[in-house]
Amino acid sequence: MKPSMASGTARTKALITAGAVLLALLAAVSLTVGKYPLSLEALLSGDAMQLRVFRTLRLSRTAVGVAGGFALGVAGFVYQTVFRNPLASPDVIGVSSGASAGAAAGILFFGGAAAITASAFAGALLAVLTALGLSALDRGGRNGTIVLAGIAVHALAQTVLMCLKLTADPEKELASIEYWIMGSLNGISLHRLGGNLGLCLACAGALFLLHRQVILLSTREGEARMLGVPVGALRLVVLLTATLAVASVVSLTGLISFVGLLAPHSARLLTADNRPGTMLLSGLLGGALLCGADILARSVAAAELPVSIFTSLLGAPFLIWLILRERRGA
Amino acid sequence: MSFFSVSDLTAGYGGRTVVKEISFELEAGELLGILGANGSGKTTLLESICGNLPHEGRCLLDGTALEGLPPRQLARRCGYIPQRSGIGIDIPVLDVVLMGFNPWLGLLEYPGKAMKERARELLERVGLGGREQENYQTLSQGQKQLCVFARTLAADSNLLLLDEPESALDFAFRYQMLGLLRDWLKQGRRGAVVTLHDPVLALNTCDRLLLLQNGENAGILCPARDTPEEMEQALVRIYGPVTLTSCRDRRGREQLVLLFSQGETGTAGEKPLGGN
Repeated sequence: MKPSMASGTARTKALITAGAVLLALLAAVSLTVGKYPLSLEALLSGDAMQLRVFRTLRLSRTAVGVAGGFALGVAGFVYQTVFRNPLASPDVIGVSSGASAGAAAGILFFGGAAAITASAFAGALLAVLTALGLSALDRGGRNGTIVLAGIAVHALAQTVLMCLKLTADPEKELASIEYWIMGSLNGISLHRLGGNLGLCLACAGALFLLHRQVILLSTREGEARMLGVPVGALRLVVLLTATLAVASVVSLTGLISFVGLLAPHSARLLTADNRPGTMLLSGLLGGALLCGADILARSVAAAELPVSIFTSLLGAPFLIWLILRERRGA
Repeated sequence: MSFFSVSDLTAGYGGRTVVKEISFELEAGELLGILGANGSGKTTLLESICGNLPHEGRCLLDGTALEGLPPRQLARRCGYIPQRSGIGIDIPVLDVVLMGFNPWLGLLEYPGKAMKERARELLERVGLGGREQENYQTLSQGQKQLCVFARTLAADSNLLLLDEPESALDFAFRYQMLGLLRDWLKQGRRGAVVTLHDPVLALNTCDRLLLLQNGENAGILCPARDTPEEMEQALVRIYGPVTLTSCRDRRGREQLVLLFSQGETGTAGEKPLGGN
């Protein structure tokens, strides 16, 4: 950690530029990599098949990778700051387990990709609203209460998921549920994408506008209150916004591990501060990580692999390298 | 009507009463010190006044009850410096001070140039000039306290509540901090309540002293009016066998000195160590 943060702003700008370039490069690679080879000339010449693959498969996949990863990175930054806990993630308030239970219900009772997405989103939202509602029973709405309520909701959602799995047909439905939980950017069509992507980007944008409040919420509760912050209400708004961003992504893709945890840590280790630039870098790194992991998920084996394998495989060594680099520097 | 009054304030944690029926008044321009042994309820009293703890009783600031004020309105009137700030993230010193302007900013508004300039002035005033871009986490505990003090001044409130602001400061800094507080008091209709560990500092800088013993009001001292003997009698109840005397410093100013008579058995009702 550098004592002076003055040089940090120039450094942060350079890091943001590097992050944006990396994300753009990975997005470009993501558009071209896949079982069906695409070429720029064929696309420009108007090859119908190439254009179809580009529009229906690659574009949506890349959009989810970039925007989804960005939203997960930004939301992770917010969770860690507001909960003052470096391990905080959307799981803390039950969003992932709610989404899983919702998706399982969707697979069992409705079927069809759009219905599963809607059901997963509803599950995530229901879990989070229950957790926040339970925590609101404690008048102060303290951090500890929200975490405890989240753990309770997480356990409940896991139970629901287990019951749904027990009733599922092991050959088809159970496999679909398991595969959904593993997470993948495969098979998300463009027309299913718009609403979720719009919501996730709108929420990420709102979180940037609320950055100053997020930092105020990182102080102790009484202290924030005496700085004029309506702690309980504002924390609900901020957490709900961050959670909506996450829910809109995971309801499309299934669970994606590590992005929301790793991206903010990496961004902070690189910039050594918590300014809006660091939040932006966290989003860019999240996007790059998810995009990169997705490229590997569809190219290293003949069959499509779960994207979470690669977010962890790529992310963990990077985080360890950053920590070691920081130690050597200290 | 006095500038600030607290009437019959009773508060505690989890059904246990920590401070009982505390009442006092503060005139504009005054600095009120709260003295008491560890666990006597000093912090509980301050936390209750600023509404962080539910309590019975009433706190009136210039005729307005602090209870029930929304946080924004409360923060415009009343600033609070906790014993230790809860800032746990890497953040520049300047940004910490800018937090103080929050009650005057809209939800999505960011501090402008004038506020940044004012924050720099305040840092200069507390002796942290030129360190605006340093990471708050790398400051010493005393410097952090001064930085948070500058943040509280930024809010431009009328009443300041300070919880043992001197605890992390070395000898000279303690007097400097209280000096800054006195300067601030002169600049308008203002008042401050400060809990202090150091009775000598309190006796020589505060206009009045509220003595707390086991959460109850054990007397109010006025160093400018009461005789050392009267004050000594009251202080013995809090601290045990102490002797209060006055002497002159090299500038000829009279100062109070408190000596602890070692070897004698204390009579004070101290509780075991542990903050509240």
